[in-house]
Amino acid sequence: MRPLAEKLGQAFGLATVLLLTKSTGLAKPELSGDQVYSQLCVKCHGDQGKGVANEHDEPLVGDWSIEKLTRVIIRTMPDDEPEQCVGNNAKRVARYIYDTFYSPDAQMRNKPPRIELARLTNRQYLHSVADLIGSFTGQSEFGQSGGLKATYHNSRNHSRNKHSIERTDTTVDFQYGSGTPVPDNKEYKAEEFSMRWSGSVFAEETGDHEFIVTSENGVRLWVNNMDLKLIEGWVSSGELHELNGTIRLIGGRAYPLRLDFFKYKSRSASVKLEWHPPHRARQVIPARNLSPASTRSTFVMRQPFPPDDSSAGYERGSAVSKKWDEAATFAAIEAANWVAEHLDPLADTSAKNKDRLIKTREFSHQFAKRAFRRPLDAEQQRFFIDSRFAERKPVTDSVKEVVLLTLKSPRFLYPDLGQADDYSVATRLSLGLWDSMPDDELLRAAAAERLNTPDEARQQALRMLRDPRSRAKLRNTFHHWLGIAHAEEIAKDTEQYPNYDKSLEADLRTSLNIFLDNIVWETAGADFRKLLNSRHLPFNERLAKFYGAERVKNMGEFGPSFFDHERAGLLTHPYLLALYSYHNATSPIHRGVFITRHVLGRSLKPPPEAAVFKDEAFSLEMTMREKVTELTKADACMTCHEIINPLGFALEQFDGIGRLRETEKGRPINTISDYLSADGSAVRLTSAGDLARLATESPSAQNGFIEMLFNQVAKQPVRAYGPGVLNRLRRDFATSGFNLQFLLAETAVINALNGIDPAKPIERN
Amino acid sequence: MNPLARRQFIRDIGVSTAALPFITGLPSLGLAATTPRRQRLVVMFSPNGTIPKNFWPDATGSDFELKEIMKPLAPFRDRMLVLNGLNNKVRGDGDGHMRGMSCLLTGIELFPGNIQGGSDTPAGWAKGISIDQEIKNFFQSHEASRTRFGSLEFGVGVSDRADPWTRMSYAGPNRPVAPTDDPYQMYQKLYGQLRDRDSLLSILDEVRDDLKRVSKKISAEDRRLLEEHAGFVRQMEQEFGRVDSNALVSNPPKFEAGITNQNDNVPRLSRMQIDLMVNSFVNDFARVGTLQYTKSVGQARMNWLNIKDGHHGLSHESDKNEDAVDKLTRINKWFAGELAYLAKRLAETPEPGGSGSLLDNTTILWTNELGKGNSHTLRNIPFVLLGEGLGFKMGRSLDIKGAAHNRLHMAMAHAVGHHLQTFGNKKLSQGGPLSLA
Repeated sequence: MRPLAEKLGQAFGLATVLLLTKSTGLAKPELSGDQVYSQLCVKCHGDQGKGVANEHDEPLVGDWSIEKLTRVIIRTMPDDEPEQCVGNNAKRVARYIYDTFYSPDAQMRNKPPRIELARLTNRQYLHSVADLIGSFTGQSEFGQSGGLKATYHNSRNHSRNKHSIERTDTTVDFQYGSGTPVPDNKEYKAEEFSMRWSGSVFAEETGDHEFIVTSENGVRLWVNNMDLKLIEGWVSSGELHELNGTIRLIGGRAYPLRLDFFKYKSRSASVKLEWHPPHRARQVIPARNLSPASTRSTFVMRQPFPPDDSSAGYERGSAVSKKWDEAATFAAIEAANWVAEHLDPLADTSAKNKDRLIKTREFSHQFAKRAFRRPLDAEQQRFFIDSRFAERKPVTDSVKEVVLLTLKSPRFLYPDLGQADDYSVATRLSLGLWDSMPDDELLRAAAAERLNTPDEARQQALRMLRDPRSRAKLRNTFHHWLGIAHAEEIAKDTEQYPNYDKSLEADLRTSLNIFLDNIVWETAGADFRKLLNSRHLPFNERLAKFYGAERVKNMGEFGPSFFDHERAGLLTHPYLLALYSYHNATSPIHRGVFITRHVLGRSLKPPPEAAVFKDEAFSLEMTMREKVTELTKADACMTCHEIINPLGFALEQFDGIGRLRETEKGRPINTISDYLSADGSAVRLTSAGDLARLATESPSAQNGFIEMLFNQVAKQPVRAYGPGVLNRLRRDFATSGFNLQFLLAETAVINALNGIDPAKPIERN
Repeated sequence: MNPLARRQFIRDIGVSTAALPFITGLPSLGLAATTPRRQRLVVMFSPNGTIPKNFWPDATGSDFELKEIMKPLAPFRDRMLVLNGLNNKVRGDGDGHMRGMSCLLTGIELFPGNIQGGSDTPAGWAKGISIDQEIKNFFQSHEASRTRFGSLEFGVGVSDRADPWTRMSYAGPNRPVAPTDDPYQMYQKLYGQLRDRDSLLSILDEVRDDLKRVSKKISAEDRRLLEEHAGFVRQMEQEFGRVDSNALVSNPPKFEAGITNQNDNVPRLSRMQIDLMVNSFVNDFARVGTLQYTKSVGQARMNWLNIKDGHHGLSHESDKNEDAVDKLTRINKWFAGELAYLAKRLAETPEPGGSGSLLDNTTILWTNELGKGNSHTLRNIPFVLLGEGLGFKMGRSLDIKGAAHNRLHMAMAHAVGHHLQTFGNKKLSQGGPLSLA
């Protein structure tokens, strides 16, 4: 809180200013907006609002209405002397700024965005290499989830006899004590028995997965690489102990898994199979991530890359760096060594096969062709393949060089080198919807030149949506949109929220993922609006109990759960409410900023001066709303906070972990305020439901969402595709009933066909 | 080194250039001429006991004759020390083979456990560190004897199982060290990064050509990105090129491709592993090595000796079965031949930066988990030393008269300057190191 003297000083200053401007305003002649700008603004904002180093180096661009811009100038500009620019001068300079460079239209006119050459993003690299190698070894699939195939034997050595039992176990978490796993079967003795659990495990997100097996008996675990045990603990001295192994997995895919167990003579027996996946607490691997059906292994690149540029709000491959080039080199080496080591199965040959050289050459040719996403011409065939086999050296050395040269080639790393043919369409579709390379069907369609019309491309896009890679990409897109892609644990004050712990939080993240998946992929209509206004959330029993929701029975572990109060989809999902809060209180500012930028599609400048929220600086009786109002009351703050705060206040009835609350500090929660919309009109917000209406109905919010999705699909700014694209997409989106699958496919098609003219194929090589 | 460990390594030494991951393939810094003489220890293991009458020399002292099994070692008779009468006195859980194997280099009991042998009680891993790892740790703790790997564990036909029959090296209680029985995998561990570098250097030039060609087809604005990219490739080429690939004292051996890890390839796999071991000593990657042939209860079928029976099965035959005795003699003689090959390679190879040969600075211990196969005795276990690395007085056959083998391990530790008071089981260490100098 500021001292009273300062406040008085301000009030006094303001009064003098008013007097001054009145008198000077009469004396001076009227100036044009251009002239006002040159006199008062250019010093700090520079020519054409480009900014001035050490003054105001941010370019003067944004999406405020002309009215708001005028008001802000009157109140705050020039800095420290706002009385210098008021009245008609302010109006005229605001108009000048708005029309010349500030408004979105002006920005577009001054610097039309273009589609830039881009390398593969890190995600695209990872998935492309996995699918490239998978195109030879077979792709992984996730069967019906619900647990692992279990086989029980009454001997210690897994030997099958008529007493062996097969069944499905939902999870592996068993305490047999001094008994047996099949207590009602007398053929099973406590002295010795053995089990095998096999099938596949589905990774939700990309990253290191730690697997943990706890047992006092003999155990072995294989994950993805079935030739190499991830955990070797066959020998045990009967003491309960934990064994762990860490393996990198790509999210949205399934991996083969097998756990072997045996007991012999020890006093007791137990076995527990847990994992610690990225962004998630350690837990027993849940049934929904396990399937009794086995699957193929996937090549998972271990080499990390420096983060992609995401300054524009989505990761894109717009820049290269030394670190990136090194990472791409080590990644290529990793892949080359793997290929050389597994050459025989990949090339369908063997060390003794007389055709080994021929088959290896054929493999190399296919490898380069698939990596480049188009056939090789004669020159490329010579350069990438023939020259590598020219010298008499071991075929494994030749194939290594092919892989290195291919994966280091710009033809692989820069997927769109401007050829603009059917193969370009195939590539853009697969990168757009999967972040990966085209599959066989796309390549076949490209070879037959059946991809260059909207109908043909759309048909492929709709087919591709059924592939799990589309789900994985969309989930990744949503995670970026919601700001949770890199969220680690959300630390909460244990005194304030005693029952909020890591495993509850893991359930919340799961709930959020299931919520997104359900609406896009499981619900008829795939209605975008439901993301923001759904009145029910998928909760398991624990979450339902904790958040006071009523679960619909028999609808699965995370079944729809209804509340006795108003909820608004994502906007009130406890995971996001908790994330956008302080560790011991709500944060209307964090919630408001998130909604302004990500849900309503409006831009915000960084705060002119950093103000830190210090809870102890406020008196004890103040509510959070009062504290925020006090903290942001300065004019310089309010220019943005008059947008931010009402959005955050509307969610104040949800506490720092997303539970409903009626009061704060013994007083009823006040959620009512007026929000200033992009067109300058005021909208009264009283609840989360009002927020949801705003977010689903306002064209600028819809545009914001479409733009976000488009950018993630195309990895290019939507505005580079022409001025009308965004509005046209919005109209069609509305006509489709805001169908998300439609939007995704349509976005992919627009991106894929950009610059493709079936009548005039471009010959470039 | 996996990529994670490699990065960790680069972080640890506090430098980061593109070339560094490859430099780790180079010899350690211990090559300086001022350092004291290198001492090396190799433990070679062959399983299932021996045929005593065809193994042990009759005479003691320096005037002894080599029996049939040890005939291949004749050229090294004067550089050998045959230790008759040493016993593995460790008792407790586990059958004779398990204790024979897992107590052989540890000299300490096994934990109780869930692994059942052919007799006795089930057992788990050994309760302590093995002497090869103990000496390796000692070497690694001193600047002058520190090497890139410290120790290298080679295997031949070991099998993919991990249990007390397959492990003789232990980093500590419950911490068995797995031998690598695929020479290609060992090659990758020793020289993989250098080879990666060579493969890479062979293509970087072409990568830039490729970038140039592609650049011609795109707009000037976009070309800048590719030019920047080409700059980094050029930089990498220069940095990698600066690392002198001839900095190795000895180039890695050239291997024939595609020797699969299976029984009939054991003779070739054995020579590949020995060549790699000798090469790794020349490049000073390690001062301690183990070479484990199959495993305790190993069932190698030595078709190359025209023996169709499994080794362990044969070892149970009675002494009266002359055919079995003959075959077992030939099997053990074959192992002696491999030892002779190792000794010959070491003897032929000059000590880098020093005088004499590698064998002048290396002692090989050839041993077994049993004294005799059909009795499963842990008495009179074959312990044969070869080479001058530990400075023992060689060219002798000694009768140690039933001492615990822990005392041999202590003698080896003392010989490298590591003055252990006890090793393994304290009681069995009584009497201190054997006097072998």
